[in-house]
Amino acid sequence: MSNIAGKAYSMNLMTPITRKMILINKLIFWIAGTPYFSGALNGLRTLSLIHYARWVVVGRKQFPHVSPDQPEEDLEYNYMFFNSNFNGSWTQYVDSFSMAIPSGLNLLWKKNVGWPDAVPETPFNRYVINNQIWSSHYYCAYPMAASNDVKAGQSIKGGVEELSKGLDSISAADFRKKYDATTKKLENDISMMAPTPVVSLANLAIEKRERIEEGKK
Amino acid sequence: MSTKRETKLDLFDIQGNIMQNFAEKGFIKARYLFLEIKNGNRGREFVTKIKPLITTSARWTNDASDPYGTTEPSATSNISFTYNALKKLGLPILSLHSFPDEFAIGMRGRRAILGDNYSSDPENWDPVWNTHDVEVHMLISIEAKNMDNLEERYNKILSLVAETNGGVILFDGSLKDEDGKEITYQDAHALDNEAGQPTAKEHFGYTDGISNPYFKGMLPGMGSVIGGGKKNPKALGIGEPKGNQGNPILASTWAPLETGEFILGHEDEAQEYPACPTPPLLGKNGSFMVYRKLHENVGMFNDMLEKTGADYPGGKEGLASKFAGRWRNGAPLATFPNEEDGKKIAAAREAAQYKQAVAKTPEEIAAANAEFEEVNKHFTGFDFQKDLHGGKCPLGAHIRRVNPRGSLEEDSASYNTPSALADRRRIIRRGLPYGTSTPNSNTGEHGIIFMAIQANIKRQFEFVTQQWMNYGSDFKLANEKDALLGNQTPDKDKDGNPIENVDGTMVIPGDDGKVPYFVSQIPRMIETRGGDYFFIPSLTTLEMLGKRIIDPT
Repeated sequence: MSNIAGKAYSMNLMTPITRKMILINKLIFWIAGTPYFSGALNGLRTLSLIHYARWVVVGRKQFPHVSPDQPEEDLEYNYMFFNSNFNGSWTQYVDSFSMAIPSGLNLLWKKNVGWPDAVPETPFNRYVINNQIWSSHYYCAYPMAASNDVKAGQSIKGGVEELSKGLDSISAADFRKKYDATTKKLENDISMMAPTPVVSLANLAIEKRERIEEGKK
Repeated sequence: MSTKRETKLDLFDIQGNIMQNFAEKGFIKARYLFLEIKNGNRGREFVTKIKPLITTSARWTNDASDPYGTTEPSATSNISFTYNALKKLGLPILSLHSFPDEFAIGMRGRRAILGDNYSSDPENWDPVWNTHDVEVHMLISIEAKNMDNLEERYNKILSLVAETNGGVILFDGSLKDEDGKEITYQDAHALDNEAGQPTAKEHFGYTDGISNPYFKGMLPGMGSVIGGGKKNPKALGIGEPKGNQGNPILASTWAPLETGEFILGHEDEAQEYPACPTPPLLGKNGSFMVYRKLHENVGMFNDMLEKTGADYPGGKEGLASKFAGRWRNGAPLATFPNEEDGKKIAAAREAAQYKQAVAKTPEEIAAANAEFEEVNKHFTGFDFQKDLHGGKCPLGAHIRRVNPRGSLEEDSASYNTPSALADRRRIIRRGLPYGTSTPNSNTGEHGIIFMAIQANIKRQFEFVTQQWMNYGSDFKLANEKDALLGNQTPDKDKDGNPIENVDGTMVIPGDDGKVPYFVSQIPRMIETRGGDYFFIPSLTTLEMLGKRIIDPT
């Protein structure tokens, strides 16, 4: 059970919302999605450590009932399901959400039961952790890539494809020019990719055990 | 927050190394002592006895009526404790467990987070950090203007240690001096130039220690809000002529950081009190300090400059400047991309510093200080808003990584706080170089004693080290590391087996439409030689520790 796969952290948040607030929240989602009001969420959109984020309202009767044996539930609340993947871990980056984009967070969660406020940080952090659903299985197909790496990779692919066009007819001097123009265009995309730094203390525990086994202090 | 009254701190309760930069006041000789507490009772007696020698944050003045002032001491001394020290001193378990986990684990235990592998692995650290049954409990730092004053204070402390009859021991022969002789302390000192004058340079030749955070409660002379503060969320240049808004050289662009980012028991940038041990008085006016001995491979650095600098269009000095984000004389690339302009402003700063050093009368001192501040704001008052792609100062340059000055926010209007992503990651830097080096020195004793002071080691020092120096994702640089301070992976392990995923690359974006330059095979130029995490208690807490009267109930 871990929220970490490769360079990504999975955040699943299930927060209760009263029945009458559902419509209001859906309205907020709709308004926030329209171009005119999207400014409030610009921070959330441009925060490059976030891979993506999605909010879904799950009605109290919409929860999966997978088998006739499963007892019927009578839920008090409806829920808002938030799913996001981002770089690093929640603990490392909680500050980058709380202080950087509190108005966006408050807009989307304000109507949720028990929502403290995005600032100060400690009650906000506790609210998230208490309502977070830990991932029992989380798979990442590209463990060396954060979303920035994927975006950079796409630019490089496009750039190299363009560069490799018409190579049969181009002169050496023209190719040089084209090559220089391509590297210039890609200069902010071209850094080296490697495995993630240690995020989870679980990794530390494994390393520690190995060191003890090797007889190091 | 603007309606709040001015923050007034109890400077006599806060240890002096937190708010005063002793080196800037000419205290350029330093000695660090590592002690272990063998006996709790005698350890507490020692703590009580050393308390009168502890330097506070009160400013140094000859004006007896200054309520924040005290006379300049001949030497300073400050004391801090590891988690095990507090245990040994008999702190109640409830209080012990209320300290942050990374502090309890210590630097050795956090090596995977810090990237202390290969040559920086704790098994290669100095014996004082790396011997079974040896535990550093207390760190005492001494600073003075000259060695006589330093030795005098050192001997005073030695006699206090002797009085404990083995209750407190100073580590014997666990360090080496420049000649390889075993000694009981770590010395550090400003490096002299060819004329024998002390400088602010470290062994690679960079002027160091230019920028430090500025926070609420600091008095004039303790720092500069220009560049030292955070981006002012309310009045970004309001009242200034159009076009000047957000100009980083103006004081109005900046605001002091909240005190609680650096000193416990005060409000922080998250509008709450920082995590603090219990009872709160135990932590109040205290802080956490990282002590880290960083060896510098001067020969490798110079090789790199010679070889790659011969190919790089900006030459050797240009390459050195791109690594750091400043010319080696300290002028920031963001404002002075041209070497000649950098030289001019650095010469002006040096002249102002000289005037400060020779000023005698109060009028001369005031005039010299004012002149220095005027020049120095060009060294601290800059940001990267006009250089988002790094043509002048690369995104991966050292100073841009460790303090992005608001440049991580692509469109700062989208954020509620303009430099929010950096404001919680600031650290107070202290320390001096140690040893002597020649341009070819790799092995031997030379480097920097680096200290970082902050309220939360995990959120500040560890985050900056791991995410910003040894990784690059926040800057969209994938895994690119800090060329100077990154833990570049060697191509072979110590048994000669090849290592996969060798890094050591840096992309230097071209300025004014020029092509980028790719640096590769950057070696690990800085290696960790030891250190730990320490708690710097207030003077009140020191008193309580000595008397064993801390009760969390």
